[in-house]
Amino acid sequence: MIEVQGLTKKIADVQALDGLSFSAEDGKITGLLGPNGAGKTTCLRTLFNLLRADDGWARVDGVDVSVEPLAAKQTLGLFPDPFGLYERLSPREYIGFFAELNGLGKAAAQQACSEVLERLQMQDIADRRCKGFSQGQRMKTALAQAIVHKPKNIVLDEPTRGLDVMSTRTLRDLLLSLKADGHCILFSSHVMQEVSALCDEVVVMAAGRAIAQGSPQELCERTGQDSLEEAFIALIGSDEGIAA
Amino acid sequence: MAAWINIYKKEMKDAVRDRRSVMAALSYSIGTPLIMCLLFVAMIDKFSSPSALYITMENSRQALELMRHLASHDIFPDAELPEGKTAKAITLQIDKNYLYAMQHGELAKVTITADFSDDNLRSSIRRVQRELQSFSREVAALRLLTRGVSPEVIRVLDVQAKDTAKPEAKGGFIIGVAIFMMIYAVFISGMNLAIDTSAGERERNSLALMLSLPIRVGDLVLGKLLAVSSFALFGLCMILLVSKIAYSFVPWQDLGANVIIDARFALYMLLFSFPLGLLAASMQLFVSFMAKTFKEAQSYLTIVLIVPMGMAMVTGYDIGPDVLRWLPVSGQQKALMEVVKGNALPWDSLLIATAITLLLTGALVAALIKLLSSEKTVFSL
Repeated sequence: MIEVQGLTKKIADVQALDGLSFSAEDGKITGLLGPNGAGKTTCLRTLFNLLRADDGWARVDGVDVSVEPLAAKQTLGLFPDPFGLYERLSPREYIGFFAELNGLGKAAAQQACSEVLERLQMQDIADRRCKGFSQGQRMKTALAQAIVHKPKNIVLDEPTRGLDVMSTRTLRDLLLSLKADGHCILFSSHVMQEVSALCDEVVVMAAGRAIAQGSPQELCERTGQDSLEEAFIALIGSDEGIAA
Repeated sequence: MAAWINIYKKEMKDAVRDRRSVMAALSYSIGTPLIMCLLFVAMIDKFSSPSALYITMENSRQALELMRHLASHDIFPDAELPEGKTAKAITLQIDKNYLYAMQHGELAKVTITADFSDDNLRSSIRRVQRELQSFSREVAALRLLTRGVSPEVIRVLDVQAKDTAKPEAKGGFIIGVAIFMMIYAVFISGMNLAIDTSAGERERNSLALMLSLPIRVGDLVLGKLLAVSSFALFGLCMILLVSKIAYSFVPWQDLGANVIIDARFALYMLLFSFPLGLLAASMQLFVSFMAKTFKEAQSYLTIVLIVPMGMAMVTGYDIGPDVLRWLPVSGQQKALMEVVKGNALPWDSLLIATAITLLLTGALVAALIKLLSSEKTVFSL
């Protein structure tokens, strides 16, 4: 469960977040949808206490991230954007490293690592060094790192960027099965198809604020539009920066 | 397991697989002693006078006695030059009135012509001058004797020089350079890793993810610091080992210095340089975490590394102010020079230098933690 209330953040002269409020519940996939520069990444960084909000709060499973950052981060998994792998490590080593840093013991980390490698069908590349991996293989490795310690809450920043159809499908299946396991999944995107295909809830963001929250269906009904894309444009009032 | 141990192990695994990091640590440690070895051998050739010295002698037939005297001290005319040897560019000219002056007890003129600024010739010129003086004294003594005067009359001072230096203590400059080159390995060997694990981490976009983990920034810094220090000390061990082998080929007795790398010296070197390894690592991490890219960090560090180099050079030449013996790098170097010279260790200055080294390291680590807790630095805002 991720809750954000009245988040405000000014970076240099830009008001990146301007009283952002929303919540993402367990067992649901929540999409943070907004044009480029809406403040999606700033919001996610604030969730991990990488950026300190000027005002407002963010809570993960009831824990305020700015008050108890370590406790909050223990229940979080992150797929960052942009993400960089350690090219000289193999996925098994890479994922195992993050598993241990997320608090798993050595044996438990190895076990969890094997499980996630199998879940993402990565056994064939598990012991190859990451250097020279395709975008899809890199994405899987980074994704495995985010979920290996089975965090209750999983945050993904633009996870579908640069992926081909097969990789996108793998990601989609994974998110759906994580949702079925009761995880809270929050992901940011500006790709309408992804959001409408996956999300139970959509938070529409523009200029650092949440303009609307609801299921894709509800948003369409509220704006009287047929598709999420039309609803989105109606909500934010321009078609600036939208990649369909 | 503590997070810093995990980070340390990962950094080491990553670094050992990085050919650039390993090469950086190895190339200096292996290359420098070999270059120094060649340099020392060349210096011996350049600065010392050959055992048989051949010079140009003009009009030497007038001065057969002088020629005999010089020959008995291994100074020969270049006419007798054996094949494969070279004569020094020194000309000893016997005046045309030499024989007459000698026979009549007058002042006989000899002229040494050479480039006195040439380092190659300096010790040979001194040697020729010394032997001419000694010949002059001998003849003078004989002249006095024939006039019924004791030669002791013209000796006023009986100057006795007693050299208290131990044989190992000579050639302080050379010892200083050799030790400095070893200490500097601490600064060079870990540098590439320091950049890769800081500016490189930022460049490949993995820094934000590391900071998103439920670990303290201190653990992250400690793991990285120890990994870089390990590389620094590995470089130091390597250079000690290679120096031990390479320096055994230097004919030290001809240089008037002696750098013996024995177990005692190696132990002191590792012991004194351990804090320096931590200082070097924290300094390099701090500087390169401020850079956004690998290249930027490289150019910053090149400038920063001039500081320890300068301190060590000044100490090696022994031209710096006294305060240097209390400071990092120069303090340790001074102590190690005393070890080589076989003197007592200056414990007071060494301990203070070590304390300052560790304090500086602590301050840099604190600054690093602050740096990585700052969103401005992490995201270059």
